[in-house]
Amino acid sequence: MRRGSSILFTAAAALMLLLAPPASAHFGAVIPSDDIVTQDDAKTLNIEIQFLHPLEQHLMEMAKPKQFGVMHNDQKTDLLATLQEAKAKGHGPTEELTFWTAEYPIRRPGDYTFFIEPTPYWEPAEDLYIVHYTKVCVNALGLEEGWDQPVGLETEILPMARPYGLWTGNLFTGQVLLKGKPVPNAEVEIEYLNASPGNISVVVAPADPYVTQVVKADANGVFSYAMPKAGWWGFSALNEADWTIDHEGEKKNVEIGAVFWVHTRDMK
Amino acid sequence: MKILTGVAALMLVSALFAGPALAHKVHLFAYVDGGTIYTESYFPDGSKVENGTVRVYDSEEALLLEGTTDPGGLFRFPIPKVDDLTIVIDAGMGHKNRFHLKKTEVEAGK
Repeated sequence: MRRGSSILFTAAAALMLLLAPPASAHFGAVIPSDDIVTQDDAKTLNIEIQFLHPLEQHLMEMAKPKQFGVMHNDQKTDLLATLQEAKAKGHGPTEELTFWTAEYPIRRPGDYTFFIEPTPYWEPAEDLYIVHYTKVCVNALGLEEGWDQPVGLETEILPMARPYGLWTGNLFTGQVLLKGKPVPNAEVEIEYLNASPGNISVVVAPADPYVTQVVKADANGVFSYAMPKAGWWGFSALNEADWTIDHEGEKKNVEIGAVFWVHTRDMK
Repeated sequence: MKILTGVAALMLVSALFAGPALAHKVHLFAYVDGGTIYTESYFPDGSKVENGTVRVYDSEEALLLEGTTDPGGLFRFPIPKVDDLTIVIDAGMGHKNRFHLKKTEVEAGK
């Protein structure tokens, strides 16, 4: 009897594991090699572009983005041609997953907001496509100008706290925009990038809710979150697109995400 | 009256010796193009350094030339020497910073 119930329990647990929605959230990621470029730093940024579960360090296959660019001094520059395909080890012994890298030489002072629009990602588990418009801001040579300007993406997070020079424990505040308008009560998911350079203690979530933090924006689409550890933090506000994509002859909904990455450093 | 004068004197002295306020740290950026060195001097918030003094030194710290920024914070001059150059902006009131222009960058912009 005891043995029987234990087997039943194991089977039930396994079934739950199979049927449970993934605890971790998908995140587009644009991670530069430096977030504050000073005159003594290397002036060429290495940028990694991935689609992943940041805390659990699971990468997903990523097609070449539709758009990759940078906004500096109110001007957008198309950088799509600079993308290089790169491979990382997948889950199986032979599986290889694609991500993207780029090099960008900083030539002038000011803020550089890098942005991507990925190719829609088909997620069979959720029966929808995912498109995460992702941004990150790099400051160069002491001129702190540009970070508070929208890029003009279909959906994006507009920083309301300067998105660099943040200490561990600081609040990051942003506004969720959809077609340029604030999204009242938007839900924002937050994850720590365990693969952050310099992270010596990989975070293991003690329970599922610790993997992805969730905050809701106020009536003006403004949200805040205090970041408890040094490294890169991803903020992702999800909305449903008012358009669909055909998948094998069926119209499928599209989850559009506004993602923003910020870096924190310990105060010492 | 005496005390007030003393306080005023103290305030004057501390104003003279105070370091630059970080919130107003001055920066200079320089690049070379077509034989000319272009400099831009600015504060972090984007405001420009007008009438700031720019001094250019070679790798032996000899002063090569001196100039004044325009209302846009700009000052430009022909390459004075192909060398590692140090360009100093002095915006007054202790607002000072330097920019290093490498010999290779000067060479490349001839």
